[in-house]
Amino acid sequence: MNEEKKIIRYDALVVGGGIAGGEAALNLANSGYRVLLVEKQRSLGGKMILLSKVFPTLDCSACITTPKVSEIARHRNITIFTESEVTGIVKRSENNFVAQITKKPRYVHVEDCTACQLCEQACPVSVRDEYQYGLIGRKAAFIPFSIANPKAAAIDIENCTLCGACEKVCPTQCIDFTMEPEQYELHARTVVIATGFKLFDPLEIPRYGYGQYKNVITSMQMEREIAPTRPFNTILRPGDGKVPDKIAYILCAGSRDASVGNPICSQICCMYSIKQAQLLMGALPMADVTIYYINIRSFGKGFEEFYQQAKGMGVTFVKGKVGTIKEKENGNLILRYEDIGEGVVKEAEHDMVVLSVGVKSNPDAGKIFPQGTLKLDPHRFVTQTDLMGSPARTSIDGVFVAGTAAAPMDIPDSILSAGSASSEAISYIIQHQEA
Amino acid sequence: MKERIGVYICHCGGNISDYVDVEKVRQAVEHEKGVALAKTTLFACSDANQNDMVEDIRTHNLDGVIVASCSPKLHLTTFRNVTERGELNKYTYVHTNIREQASWAHSNDKEGATDKAIRLVKAAIAKSRFAEPLYPNLFEAEKTIAVIGAGIAGMKAAAALADKQTEVLLIEKEHRVGGHTATWGTLAMTEESGSTLTERIYHDLLRRENVTIMTGTEVISSKGSIGNFTLKVRKRPTKDGDPVETAEFTVGSVVVATGFDSYQPKEGELGFAQSDNVITLPEFRHLIDRAEGKELVYNGRKIRHIAYIYCVGSRQTNGENTYCSRFCCTSAIHASILVKKKFAKINNYHLNRGIRTYGKQELLYAESLAMGDLYLQWGEETPPAVVMEGKGATITLRDILSSNRELELEADLVVLVTGMVPRADNSVGTLFKLPRGRDRFFNEVHMKLRPVETVIDGVTIAGSCQGPKNITESVNSALSAATKSFSLISKGTLETEPIVAEVNSDICSWCGKCAEACPFDAILQKEVGGKTVAMVNNSVCKGCGMCAPVCPPDAINLINYSSEEIMSMIDALA
Amino acid sequence: MKKSARILVFSTEKISDPAVDMAGLLKLHYPPTVYTITVPCSSGIKPGWILHAYERGFDGVFIAADGSDCVYGESCTEKTGNLVADTHERMKARSLDPARLRMAAICSVCSEAFVKQIRSFNEYLIKTTNA
Repeated sequence: MNEEKKIIRYDALVVGGGIAGGEAALNLANSGYRVLLVEKQRSLGGKMILLSKVFPTLDCSACITTPKVSEIARHRNITIFTESEVTGIVKRSENNFVAQITKKPRYVHVEDCTACQLCEQACPVSVRDEYQYGLIGRKAAFIPFSIANPKAAAIDIENCTLCGACEKVCPTQCIDFTMEPEQYELHARTVVIATGFKLFDPLEIPRYGYGQYKNVITSMQMEREIAPTRPFNTILRPGDGKVPDKIAYILCAGSRDASVGNPICSQICCMYSIKQAQLLMGALPMADVTIYYINIRSFGKGFEEFYQQAKGMGVTFVKGKVGTIKEKENGNLILRYEDIGEGVVKEAEHDMVVLSVGVKSNPDAGKIFPQGTLKLDPHRFVTQTDLMGSPARTSIDGVFVAGTAAAPMDIPDSILSAGSASSEAISYIIQHQEA
Repeated sequence: MKERIGVYICHCGGNISDYVDVEKVRQAVEHEKGVALAKTTLFACSDANQNDMVEDIRTHNLDGVIVASCSPKLHLTTFRNVTERGELNKYTYVHTNIREQASWAHSNDKEGATDKAIRLVKAAIAKSRFAEPLYPNLFEAEKTIAVIGAGIAGMKAAAALADKQTEVLLIEKEHRVGGHTATWGTLAMTEESGSTLTERIYHDLLRRENVTIMTGTEVISSKGSIGNFTLKVRKRPTKDGDPVETAEFTVGSVVVATGFDSYQPKEGELGFAQSDNVITLPEFRHLIDRAEGKELVYNGRKIRHIAYIYCVGSRQTNGENTYCSRFCCTSAIHASILVKKKFAKINNYHLNRGIRTYGKQELLYAESLAMGDLYLQWGEETPPAVVMEGKGATITLRDILSSNRELELEADLVVLVTGMVPRADNSVGTLFKLPRGRDRFFNEVHMKLRPVETVIDGVTIAGSCQGPKNITESVNSALSAATKSFSLISKGTLETEPIVAEVNSDICSWCGKCAEACPFDAILQKEVGGKTVAMVNNSVCKGCGMCAPVCPPDAINLINYSSEEIMSMIDALA
Repeated sequence: MKKSARILVFSTEKISDPAVDMAGLLKLHYPPTVYTITVPCSSGIKPGWILHAYERGFDGVFIAADGSDCVYGESCTEKTGNLVADTHERMKARSLDPARLRMAAICSVCSEAFVKQIRSFNEYLIKTTNA
């Protein structure tokens, strides 16, 4: 470890480089403040950059995210640390927050990498591709995904065998195994927490058979299957590569369910499932898509109309809670569910099941500050201490929360929440100028 | 004339290339006159492609750039900036839309869509050949910002602007501030009362020197544009005999926060106005806030059984309000919990269309269920029927939750869970020409990229005037709008679009028709070489082009839209 | 018989363009031989351009006008009306069917109205220009 700690100063620290953190950083930077944007992953853009299209306009997600990310990356007032973690922020005074930041080595000099992918071809190690949610594999020397920013190779050191094949083929000699973690001590005048959310892990509901039945996938995996940068060129079920023609969605998988410790509604699953259903109807015109739901929550601008549109397109909506899923020999799945409309328990066969997994809080938010100083709510989202008067406020004056770090929300609400947090952060800086 | 144009045709990751053969488009235009290079790209807007474009401008010495991709509303600015980074004047950039206007509009006809895309790109090339460098005029922007509407959104926007050391005019039509929120009692989720919340924000505003609050005041006219809006306001007299005062203010930007109206049911709609046992949600909230004693009494009658009918005025299948009002499920359930906590003998029946207590609000729904409230659900085809009988009401409905059985229910009080509708008084919208969406609320430019901006530069929208919102969401939207308005003018100088009218003084022989047609008085008379001709005042001209068609000798053209350019585009499309 | 007529649409940057774009977004199909040229305001269209379009083989010209939503002021409707009337006169002088020029106000969310107008105009043009 490189022991030397570099001391750096910025006006604002934004933790998290997803859509909320990015928006907050841009607002601050456009108002003339210098921002350090710290992202744990290898690319900016959070979960949004990996989505297919967005509801209710069906704009392609990349078309909104990539130029935004590019603007952030190029902004003269924004410095970006990817693959970096913020720990132990201490508030020394009203306008001095001191943060410890560890920048992990990428083992690639980003500025020299041309993203030629020769290292990827040379690398003999294959592992699960987390950016494709495990649908396919990737190498240990790899470009995270085609629209990643920065678009540069990275070495997954945990899986790397240090064989040196990548180094040999790299035309710019940008691979460097001598890189070490770097430590920074940041002094900033305000902090925006935009650490986002975690997807519910469906292994917690064994009766749905995720991880056991190959043709039960999560909605995020389906999102990847229909994204422009999709792993296959069509929609396949993972079990046997067959194009599915009878697809089921199970809503509230891990939401509104106290038995898995998540009694709240995730706010986005109804809509993204309806969106995916519409996209599937377009991509596979012969396919049947059925959505099993408790309540459809299409509450935002244009959402109810989008729901009605899906019904008009022939998506089947069944009000019913799915109890169990069983797998047949041919890989098809039998869903046992209570049809609420008819008040009877029924069974239905589908050849692919998508679990519409919900939004869980990201435990990282709680680890940034010394134990307990940043208050979390019972669901471990960052507590909004003045929910209606000042929704971005937290238990620490000068620290603001943006996006899904505070609560489940959709993209438009995340962006408005980020606008709100950056507004408060700007005001805070101005109100606490040094005399 | 441009001779080295670079053309980029975007796949849009399939959005275009699934329906338009982009390679065919590229081949069709690469040998067009003036084209130096033609490329296809997976995502034109990606950082990697933007860098390639900058590189191409330098290495291929390009003098014009065209991107054929999505609507210019999304990425015209993105690519103008790329052009600038390549050290070309940004007005030499030409955008053409082959997504919304080709691949998507004709997704049923790949050949047709491809042919159209080819012609659209050729028309863009025709336009690009003429695209000359232009230089915007800089002008001083007024730094004061007006906020119209002093409900929770308007007040918070004003406070956020004041925090940023901006002068703020907060203009409210009513004689009091606080909007709808101030009339509400205990609020869901925080249990603070609406009036306490608005009062604490109001007091925060009062202690600020840079906020001027004008109540009882309406904006009656607006002139000018971003940087310099002149607003004329009229103060309504608070009592008879007081004079009506008018005043004028110049502001750089305007935040519109005019809020919503509560849906008012029609006479006879679910028994409304036919009996005083049928009331709206705001009336009910008002009732329970003031109710005291052991029993809930309304109109001299003890109330035991309350039926809440949801989605009144929202999610209409036969009306124009097709949208969901999003706040009402939570608000009604919260009210029902309050009333039951106050009066233990109350029975609540929720006649809903699927409860939408999204997010953490779900806990209220769970609490209500735990308290023993009954939930019945009806479908859009079979709305409940309310029959008033004597002291109460009989409601019949088919309950989805009990196998569509027809149920009959008696209630002492029927609460119509009314939603939000756009303001009936659209005078502010009309004043600024704010477009409205299909739901008739004000429309943002883009829900995700520019959610608080309108097509009118310098006018932002905050809170529920853009669509139904709860308080938290309104405040987030208000602070976003405030930040946007602030950043638009905080630098103090603004650029005017250099797209103005141009007079060919060789042909002009002053007849005055152009000056008559100009809505901005931007055309003046001038002596040139002994004859009188028309002259355009560039700092006043807004570039509408109204003067151009009326000129008898055809001596006026709008820059970028000259007859030469348009006709060569027509030639390319034909 | 032709499947679709060639139609040139003059549409405006802030008002009717968003509606035309939204028609695409909603995949409300219309003939692919309909092309849009964007102008700032419908009252800035020169009759000469419209006549040029017929000379170059367009069957019809459609003005997606700002109507009362025009951001440049109230007079837009009247002025657009005037230039259409003027063009109609010039069309008659050239023995062109004046119905080959149509105008309708298209607001920023009037995508369905736009497509309806275009489809009916297309039908009219197919009938008359082939008759």
